[in-house]
Amino acid sequence: MEKERKPKNIFVQGPISPEKIAQSIANHSSKTDIGGHSIFLGQVRADAKAEGNVIAIDYTAYEEMALEKAFEIREAIFAKYPLTCMHIYHSLGEVKVGELCLFVFTSSKHRKAAMDACDELVERIKAELPVWGKEILDTQGHVWKLNT
Amino acid sequence: MSNTLHIKAFGMVAEKIGLSDLSMDHSGDSAELLAALLVKFPELKTLKFTLAINKKIVNGNQEVPENAEIALLPPFSGG
Repeated sequence: MEKERKPKNIFVQGPISPEKIAQSIANHSSKTDIGGHSIFLGQVRADAKAEGNVIAIDYTAYEEMALEKAFEIREAIFAKYPLTCMHIYHSLGEVKVGELCLFVFTSSKHRKAAMDACDELVERIKAELPVWGKEILDTQGHVWKLNT
Repeated sequence: MSNTLHIKAFGMVAEKIGLSDLSMDHSGDSAELLAALLVKFPELKTLKFTLAINKKIVNGNQEVPENAEIALLPPFSGG
């Protein structure tokens, strides 16, 4: 199976649906050289802040730069690990607590490459993509999310 | 030489300066541009942000190409 090597959109408006994830897994059943998948799902947490409780995160991005950067990260991860497939989806706009905002999916012949690549991808996405989360509070205010 | 830069602001920076898109005439390198931005928007002095020129993060001082797209990027918080 040829690897996809063109920049592609990673952004999804609103939450990522569990059905989309199920469908994405199902789409790989024809790729019979795959022996292991690794999946990371980011979910919006109901953090209690001094200013109020988080009820949703409103995501914005510098989209053109984020897509260039995502492509660069994607190429680096493909070069580093023997992967069959890699998929990245990130929400834009409002995602309520309990809903999914990030879906990272790697597949390879053997589990170790898929798991290590998935882990590194998630770390790089959080550190390097120009995306911002505005945490909406139940007090009608907001605070800007900080990644740890 | 007149040189119009297209400036985009994001996240907390956009909120604090009250703008997400503006144009600015400027000649000079990125350090001079940063100084000019701090004069125009004193609010920026209290914020943590990095500059990007044509979608690349600025490291150290560098040239600003003509009519470049400049972005003011607060710390990333995706995921």
